[in-house]
Amino acid sequence: MTGSVTQFSNLIAALAAAPGNRPFVTAWIDEDESEIVTFAEFRRRARSQAKVLLEHGMTVGDRVIIIMPQSISAMTTFVGAMMLGAVPAFLAYPNFKVEASKYRSGLAGVTANLKAKVVVIDEEFPDDMLGHVSLGEEATLLRSSDGKGPGAEQELPDLEIHAESLAFIQHSAGTTGLQKGVALTHAAVLSQIEHLAHVLKIDGVTDRVYSWLPLYHDMGLIACFMLPMVCHVPLVMQSPLDWVMHPETMLQIISAHKCTLAWMPNFAFQFVPRRAAPNRWAQYDLSSARALINCSEPVRSSSMQEFQNTFSAIGLKSGVLQSSYAMAENVFAVTQSDINRPSGPARIWADGQRFRNAHLVVPVAEGTPGAVCLTSSGRVLPGNEVRIVSDSGDLLADGHVGEIRIKSDCLFTGYYNRPDLTAKAIVDGWYSTGDLGFTLEDELYVIGRKKDLLIVGGENFYPQDIEEIVAAHPAIHDGRVVAMGVYNPDLGTEDIVVVAEVERKELLTNTVEIEREIRNTVVEGIGVAVRTIFLKPPKWIVKSTAGKPARSSTREKLLKEHPELNADSLNLES
Amino acid sequence: MTAEAQQMIEHIVRLIRKPGLTIDENTPLVSSGLIDSMALVDLLLKIEDLTHMRIPPGKVQPKDMDTVAKMFATAQRVGKTRK
Repeated sequence: MTGSVTQFSNLIAALAAAPGNRPFVTAWIDEDESEIVTFAEFRRRARSQAKVLLEHGMTVGDRVIIIMPQSISAMTTFVGAMMLGAVPAFLAYPNFKVEASKYRSGLAGVTANLKAKVVVIDEEFPDDMLGHVSLGEEATLLRSSDGKGPGAEQELPDLEIHAESLAFIQHSAGTTGLQKGVALTHAAVLSQIEHLAHVLKIDGVTDRVYSWLPLYHDMGLIACFMLPMVCHVPLVMQSPLDWVMHPETMLQIISAHKCTLAWMPNFAFQFVPRRAAPNRWAQYDLSSARALINCSEPVRSSSMQEFQNTFSAIGLKSGVLQSSYAMAENVFAVTQSDINRPSGPARIWADGQRFRNAHLVVPVAEGTPGAVCLTSSGRVLPGNEVRIVSDSGDLLADGHVGEIRIKSDCLFTGYYNRPDLTAKAIVDGWYSTGDLGFTLEDELYVIGRKKDLLIVGGENFYPQDIEEIVAAHPAIHDGRVVAMGVYNPDLGTEDIVVVAEVERKELLTNTVEIEREIRNTVVEGIGVAVRTIFLKPPKWIVKSTAGKPARSSTREKLLKEHPELNADSLNLES
Repeated sequence: MTAEAQQMIEHIVRLIRKPGLTIDENTPLVSSGLIDSMALVDLLLKIEDLTHMRIPPGKVQPKDMDTVAKMFATAQRVGKTRK
């Protein structure tokens, strides 16, 4: 692509300008099976999907929910909706572990909140996940076709899509109970892509993106679908489940397709080196990669180092591993490390005691005993501003840890249909991220969260969703449960740890069965496994003055009593 | 139970590290929350090792790995002989 992304008034115009014969999406199944569509074929299939949606009455501004496995069909349906000026949103495909009734109630909630007109599912969508789901008076359910069928170029109504109209809605957390739909305009998405393409020096002719990221996640949707679409970059994609069960395929795909760019959450940087069979590494070649970006979980220097050390033998160049800080509310990235820096993202060592006790960064020499090593998430993108503020809202200077607030030309317009939540989140144009960090020498370091949120393998979960499920167990004292994320250095991501009080002390004589039942109900409810459950006698959990469990004090107490958890209160690396 | 299934069970018990827990060929592992998706790759590599087959990506879902019995059935169904 040449010229500026902002020459386009909307995302569909950007797609229309792509060279028709260039490959766009390669859906990789295995070495013997993949499907490639060019930009021209992608446009044709998207128009065909648009025609189907049109026949179901979709028009400008209508919301459409898409629940399909990672596929070209899911992508063409999404773009087809945008071609009509409708507002699509991807939701996660039902996880077989989740109990059908829980899935149905979550789906009914999201559908009602978005007031969706159509819900598109694939042919194989499990019937029990739908049951008698109430989609509201307006919504209809549509089984998608792949849009491959022959036929003339589809005639679509001639309509103008304004830059300031909504392009799509993305969701910021994996659990359905508290889903907030982040509403984004075409202008915001194009601004984000313009900035990101500029700092990453994206080139549609020479670049090729590799992705296993889910499309319902901002990293998958923006970095690995919208950015390639707008900048006309070929994309090689596989399903997240296929990747997590065969992480070695990442090496295989980058090698075979000479991919240059990829985004991954922190845990992947040690998951791949530890889970790909070393006897096959020699078959692969990572020399085509020019930026592999660590994003959407706190960046750990040890995970990056492990990936670099392991794969430099198969062509991984130094300076390829990079970092970024991103969130759905800002479309995607707020910062990006400088890709020209040969040693990768900036790192500093800070005095551990002053950092933990005074939330102050006092740089010390590398390897000083008790020091903490912190990796930068990079520099603020053009069009973006970052502020660090104290609990009382005062601006903080460099080296002081506080809440990260952002303002940008790609900020969301609000949570869809939730003016109450929007008003709390955006004040005077500044969005309170709920993340903690500090700035130093023009770099942003993100160290954790102020808000209660667990990030497991890059996906966000609200502890309240887990606590509610655990508290419903008859042996557990209602309201006396705390769920938390504890960094697991073996996995490079957080483990979900639950501490709960039993109703009576005698119940602690047989915890195996209670733990088994809790595990079952959590997985049925939200589809994610709890790593460790600690059952405690009544009155063990620390309460706040309001009588509710005090999360941070309970966490401190648990970590002190269970040194085997091997974590500190801030989940830092030392 | 075959010797391979017994070896698989022993491997899983080591992986889960939960004292007092016993599993058999039909114990749900993924759907019960005993094993998370990040541990599935360990089970796939082990089953490939025990069956001398290669299980191609794209042909196996977490639900196909929910019990030891299902793992061996999956290897039979989609496994390819090693090249």
